[in-house]
Amino acid sequence: MVLAAIAAAWEGGKALFAIPSYQLPHLYEIGADFFRTGAGGEPWFLIMAVNAGYTALESVIGFALGSAIGLVLAVSFAHSRLLERGLLPWVVASQTVPVLAIAPMVVVWLGTSWFSKAVIAAYLTFFPVTVNMARGLRAVDADALALMRAMAATSRQIFLRLRFPSSLPYLFTALRISATASVIGAIVGELPVGSRFGMGVVIINAAQYYNWRPANLWAAILVSSLIGIAFYHAVALAERCTLTWRPSRAAL
Amino acid sequence: MTGPVIEAVGIARTFGSRGGVTEALRSVSLSVARGEFISIIGPSGCGKSTFLGIVGDLVEPTAGTIRVNGKTARQARLDRDYGIVFQTPVLYDWRTVIENVRLPLELAGRARGERQERPRALLRLVGLEGFRDHYPWQLSGGMQQRVSIARALALHPALLLMDEPFGALDEMTRDRLNLELLRIWSESSATALFVTHSIAEAVFLSTRVVVMSPRPGAIERIVPIDLPRPRTDKMRSDPRFFELITAVRESLREDAALAVGGGSA
Repeated sequence: MVLAAIAAAWEGGKALFAIPSYQLPHLYEIGADFFRTGAGGEPWFLIMAVNAGYTALESVIGFALGSAIGLVLAVSFAHSRLLERGLLPWVVASQTVPVLAIAPMVVVWLGTSWFSKAVIAAYLTFFPVTVNMARGLRAVDADALALMRAMAATSRQIFLRLRFPSSLPYLFTALRISATASVIGAIVGELPVGSRFGMGVVIINAAQYYNWRPANLWAAILVSSLIGIAFYHAVALAERCTLTWRPSRAAL
Repeated sequence: MTGPVIEAVGIARTFGSRGGVTEALRSVSLSVARGEFISIIGPSGCGKSTFLGIVGDLVEPTAGTIRVNGKTARQARLDRDYGIVFQTPVLYDWRTVIENVRLPLELAGRARGERQERPRALLRLVGLEGFRDHYPWQLSGGMQQRVSIARALALHPALLLMDEPFGALDEMTRDRLNLELLRIWSESSATALFVTHSIAEAVFLSTRVVVMSPRPGAIERIVPIDLPRPRTDKMRSDPRFFELITAVRESLREDAALAVGGGSA
């Protein structure tokens, strides 16, 4: 229904304001773009699919790497306020550097293979995980902690049986954010010169030839966002399967 | 093990904060014998929860000594000699009912057989056997508190500490759970220390009622309850029951009058 509304607004606006096709192609033109033949003779949607696959893989690996780093940082922060005070400013500073500036550097250091893209994806992923998880690990009910003390639990037991389980909802919130952020990271990583595969490459080429084939760029954007959406929903599904004890179905 | 379960002498506790110093407990001395059911009642802020916390080694006294089960409070806690029930059930949402009851057994490293059987037996005792695979959110407040009580009894503790466990429930549920608690308690052979706001509840449940003065808390009076056991609902209409309630109420009123400055009765 929302899609229909968007489609209506798209074509309606185009007709109403007489927007030329090079600024806003017809939706059917974008659709048709998937079926044209590419340079090597294969249909375009196949080429898109392969590149999308590369991007998706880089995102997933980067996501896993970034989440792991985020988890380790969060646990150490929850353990030691001293460590948190020392490292948090650096963690925050790292996020203020525009990823577009960092990407070429990372590609120079680590080469143009999928690995540098995954690292950039991880770079965007670890921050939400760190911040949310650290909060989740701390946000335990005072009575629940008192209860643990009353049952003579060791610090390790308190962590495994109380802090960690109660921080999982926070973790999944962060993972949802990171899901889309890692896709962006992977694409940004593909933009610098030298990469051969991935949606970032497709987008760069489409942008270069925009005047001749505007629909191509829109098609690339569409596919890129579909990857992000799919990833987000995968994480949401994982959350539903893990947090089976949640009574309310949180929509966001 | 002979000797009192709780031996508190001159317990005091002061809290410091930005606003100044608060004297929560002035000098509380109490001896609780094995098998007793002791209620502590007093106006808000009189330190009754603080005292319970001191017995459970969750709060440190600033003065006085306390022996629990013949040991220091800290050792009694580490030896898991007591079970505690708070005003809110404090069940872990990600665990089912039976897993919640199993928690103390897991923490104490008990054997697998006991970890399986004991929670079942406890849930039977509190009448919730059919709900063992439910999650806490699926249970009513009263049921959640029953789970909390079952959990407190998991390790056969010598002492049961309860901090206004039925405070958040309606009166009918409360009366019913009072009877339930007495039944459970009599089958467990634990000694009970019960903090409450309700005079009727204190009188109905206890062997002795400890009446505390307003802040700074000290023991105003101890009222022995000579009603026979097992207690029944019928006793709630007994003249002796009302006499005892009046005795407790009067002690509380005296404190209140004194606190306000000895005004009109």
